[in-house]
Amino acid sequence: MADLTVCVGNIPFANPVIAASGTFGFGREMRNFQNLGRIGGICSKGLTLLPRDGNPAPRVAETASGMLNSVGLQNPGFTSFLANELPFMIDLGCRIIVNIAGNDPEEYLEMCRRLDATSVDAIELNLSCPNVKEGCMLIGSNPEMIEKLVAAARQVTKKPLWAKLTPNVTSIADMARAAESGGADAVVLINTLLGIAIDRKLRRPILRNNIGGLSGPAIKPIALRMVAETYRAVSIPIVGVGGIMSGNDVLEFMIAGATAVEVGTANLIKPTACQDIIDEIRAIMELDGVSEVGQYTGTLELWNG
Amino acid sequence: MRTIEFNCPIIDHESINGQTVVLTLEAPAIAQIAYPGQFVNLTSNQFLRRPIGIMNADPARGSIQLGIRIAGEGTRFLAKRKKGDILSLLGPLGRGFNLEGARRVITVGGGTGVFPLYFVQKVCQARDLEGIAVCGYRSLGDSFLTDQYKALTCQTLFASEEGDDMDFSGHAVAALDDLLAKLPLVPETRILTCGPEKMMASVAALADEYGISCQVSLEERMACGIGVCLVCACKIKRGDEQGAEYQRCCTEGPVFNAEVVEWQI
Repeated sequence: MADLTVCVGNIPFANPVIAASGTFGFGREMRNFQNLGRIGGICSKGLTLLPRDGNPAPRVAETASGMLNSVGLQNPGFTSFLANELPFMIDLGCRIIVNIAGNDPEEYLEMCRRLDATSVDAIELNLSCPNVKEGCMLIGSNPEMIEKLVAAARQVTKKPLWAKLTPNVTSIADMARAAESGGADAVVLINTLLGIAIDRKLRRPILRNNIGGLSGPAIKPIALRMVAETYRAVSIPIVGVGGIMSGNDVLEFMIAGATAVEVGTANLIKPTACQDIIDEIRAIMELDGVSEVGQYTGTLELWNG
Repeated sequence: MRTIEFNCPIIDHESINGQTVVLTLEAPAIAQIAYPGQFVNLTSNQFLRRPIGIMNADPARGSIQLGIRIAGEGTRFLAKRKKGDILSLLGPLGRGFNLEGARRVITVGGGTGVFPLYFVQKVCQARDLEGIAVCGYRSLGDSFLTDQYKALTCQTLFASEEGDDMDFSGHAVAALDDLLAKLPLVPETRILTCGPEKMMASVAALADEYGISCQVSLEERMACGIGVCLVCACKIKRGDEQGAEYQRCCTEGPVFNAEVVEWQI
């Protein structure tokens, strides 16, 4: 029987498949489609200290093998989340990771402090949302700011801290090193890539926000390259994200160096994606004769010369 | 656990004109619970699913019908599917029209908006409600579903913007205005509308003028259709305070009471 368990830092997961932030809500809608207790974990919709309306529509544009979104972190606010959503999530029976996005460092710290007293399994510091003007990606594009923020968060919570990184930088490995130096328990990569979709007749961007974040299979090769580079740069675990649609995709990310993965856009096409992918991983492991899924991690052998 | 993803075979394919088809799909579970104003999100050859309003549901036969107008590659692919082909459907999705307490139901459809409103008039017939269907088309040649509407018990008023040989020469909104001016009002009348946003906003304003309650079926670019991705944001007035908030077209909508909609036109 294939063993799908993995450990990200010191937290064990039943399998390496985690639902990515912003593609799974707080789990309420998705439980109509699958037993959420079977998936590795769920990462909450990105939360800000105060409620956020998000960006005007259109917020989505279809692209070749993917989509652009500019939701803009619409969320009910951190206080409402703690009262109305977190208790529900905790009861789902899988690992719960809370994704937080601050307008400034103090907002991140305030949310970390308040999460410390809850039973969430990890905090994902969203250093990469491309759709808001403040905080977030600004911090995530600057290694000094990343290190400082992660170190400050480390002081206010004992929860595992995962730093979710943006690919919209020259060297994501540098950002991952900064997060590691600050004391992050894991790095999560990649968030969406900035893009634009154009309506030729209107000569306008399709998205009302002009730009948006590209996700889906279109970005998988970029994400794999970044995971592989980062694996050689840090010794903390990597959670791989970017266009995963199948069990085979998950194992490619693990070979590149990921300990676990997040599945995002696939959930929007197929609400049972996470569950199906877990089944596929199990089947592939049987074929490969691999007994523990962790045996794939970091086994990529680059060509020499 | 409520599973709402289905692989459904096409059991009938009717080409209405070069641009429009009606697909009949075997979808017993959806047919059983679907009500007017709801939609299904179906796979095509493109990356995202395509949300399509349900035109008709027949629980006895276990089938649903979808009216599809070719607007791009995805709908072109769907329109070209043949009998026996299987499509993946999620549904029924969304909050549809509320017919509770209605005595007379006036539907006002523009273009493909006449498809989901056909389902409304069919339910009105089954419930013995007085129905009036206003259907607006660009021209007679561009019209569709007129025979199906005529076969129902509802009164029909077909409007052609180009003024050719239909019941009313002009826009559907003008046809509605004309109708309301002549019609003795009865209490518990509802106006339900589906079509271009500009048309629906005008219908809502007219309904307000006549003091008739109005429901509108909004459209927004969508991805998941099940309420997790938050891309299909509709601006809806807050009930208790000033201002508006974004609600999900796929979940809180697509049908909203007209008075809460903050029109974007």
